[in-house]
Amino acid sequence: MLFLFIAIPLAVASILPLLGKISKRVLPDLLGNLTLVFLLGYTLWIGKELSQAGGIVQRLEWLGEPLAIVLVLDGFSHLMLFTVSSVALCVTLFSIDYMKHYGEKVPYYALFLMMIAGMNGLLLSPDIFGIFLFLELSAIASYGLVAYGLGHDELEASFKYLMLSAVASGFVLLAIVLLFGLTGSLALGDIAMGLRALPPSPLVWVCVAFFVMGFGLKAAIVPFHAWLPDAHPSAPASISAMLSGLLIKVSGIYALTRLLFNVFGVTPTLSTVLLYLGTLSMVVGAFLALGQNDIKRMLAYSSISQIGYILLGLGAGNPLGLLGGLFHIMNHAMAKALLFLDSGSIERATGTRDLQKMGGLASRMPLTAATSVVGSLSIAGVPPLNGFWSKLLIILGLIEAKHYGFALIAILASVLTLWYYLVIQRKAFFGKLNEIWRGVVEAPFWMSASTVILALGCIGIGIFFSPMLKTWISPAVEILYGGTVHALNFLGL
Amino acid sequence: MGQSMYIFLLVGFVGFAILAIFLRDLLKAAISLAFSSIFLAMIFFHMKAYYVGVFEISVVAGLITVLFIATIGLTKGQGDVKERKIPLVIFPLFFIAFLFLDVVIMNALKTQMAVLSGKPEVPHFPQVLWGFRTLDLVGQIGVIFAGVFAVLALFRKGGTHE
Repeated sequence: MLFLFIAIPLAVASILPLLGKISKRVLPDLLGNLTLVFLLGYTLWIGKELSQAGGIVQRLEWLGEPLAIVLVLDGFSHLMLFTVSSVALCVTLFSIDYMKHYGEKVPYYALFLMMIAGMNGLLLSPDIFGIFLFLELSAIASYGLVAYGLGHDELEASFKYLMLSAVASGFVLLAIVLLFGLTGSLALGDIAMGLRALPPSPLVWVCVAFFVMGFGLKAAIVPFHAWLPDAHPSAPASISAMLSGLLIKVSGIYALTRLLFNVFGVTPTLSTVLLYLGTLSMVVGAFLALGQNDIKRMLAYSSISQIGYILLGLGAGNPLGLLGGLFHIMNHAMAKALLFLDSGSIERATGTRDLQKMGGLASRMPLTAATSVVGSLSIAGVPPLNGFWSKLLIILGLIEAKHYGFALIAILASVLTLWYYLVIQRKAFFGKLNEIWRGVVEAPFWMSASTVILALGCIGIGIFFSPMLKTWISPAVEILYGGTVHALNFLGL
Repeated sequence: MGQSMYIFLLVGFVGFAILAIFLRDLLKAAISLAFSSIFLAMIFFHMKAYYVGVFEISVVAGLITVLFIATIGLTKGQGDVKERKIPLVIFPLFFIAFLFLDVVIMNALKTQMAVLSGKPEVPHFPQVLWGFRTLDLVGQIGVIFAGVFAVLALFRKGGTHE
């Protein structure tokens, strides 16, 4: 029952304000976390059915009558569902203690679950307008969550995010209108079929360009990244983790990848565009991260840089590159969520995000320091952590595709990444303890527990990368490598 | 319905929309937006999209304008906010570029679009909504709820994070 992935978070979010009247403290935490536990469990359970069938198409019925609700699950969307539900569960666990100082939790969890419902709907919809609608649902929920602190910075960042996101939505909607005009359908499979039958037309390239601009803005690919360094640091740490770890990947990278690979079909020109955009994001993001003193801002720029790696893997276009690119989506989601949650623990304990004011915190917050080291080394691509394997696969994919220059830049950018993450570690956790932090204590139980789970995830996936690749990533690669044929056979309705 | 009438409606729609952006008085800006919406609804009516036209007038021009005006009535002025002058220069440039894109390129390409060049077969509106686009309704309900929860979050008491 794929519809549960959308209906359950929507239903729980809708009744939360009513149930929140009964218990304002315990019930929102309980319901929020139980919903994510259910979604994660259901994602794992449905994986068995998926592996046997190769794909699931569900047509909903009401009292024996068919409804126009069709949802589709394949290897690619299953990988993303797993990433969303596992990381989101860690974030909701973290929120139990962290959100206490933000006042009422009911609107927070309601918006959080709406965002999850939007992402799940986007992942399961085989219809381009459905994708757009659920993209908007997750985006609207995220505007409210970015502004949740209600301070000047939060409101300004949320407004900026809203404005640029509206521009992105405009581009996406315009491209959808053009595609509908060209093919007469909104179903992904039918569009793929319609585009095949069309004679070469510049209008198709206009559509692709609008999608790249629209989803590029959502994914914060350079040069469409201006909103991210403001929005992500200003939000509560749990929401920064969701935005940087998941939302930019689902609403930007997943949607773009699905359309380019399964609907339009990747051409050498398109691969080159992805390679150049990826390199630009990777290098610009890394250099901008290097100059930051605000820990969350540095992490936000790092997200731009890591999105570049994912694009490079996808742009390589061969199975190895795709394997690395998709694996990096999952690995970066876990490691970046971990680092943002750690930054939340630090900010909560010290009241600052300024790295210059920190120092020696490892002695006061050993768990936060240890998990932060794991997250940093993972993103920097240090073996045997998960980030190492995905970056290695991306670079091998580039070499196999004879893109030696891009491979070299990826290696150099990785060194740069390691550099600025070591800067974070040195300035925040190591060296002499700043006297004003002598009273600082470790983060509360749930905050520490969630970061420990994510850190163990980074280590575990790194050690058991081979079964992970076989179980989760390879089926997704097959879908993308299948190109438009997959859409014609599976996504056509 | 002549071409000139369409141009008049389009100019009215775009003109009032621009006015809504540049007017400094929020009340006048909200009213200007309502006028822009009425022009858009008239375009919908002339394109025989009656349901969309009715929604545009009742919800956007009507309900949302009332909400805007009510909210503006509840706010208090907090001194002058300095605004940058750059948009005054950049906006016309973007607008001209957009017009060029819209009029020249899109107009030239519209004959290539199968749906626009063929005769449309328009099913009845409820048939489209219930028969083909039920998932959109779920998404729309979600969007409305998300908007409501965002407002609840922004106007909650004692939530300012220090």
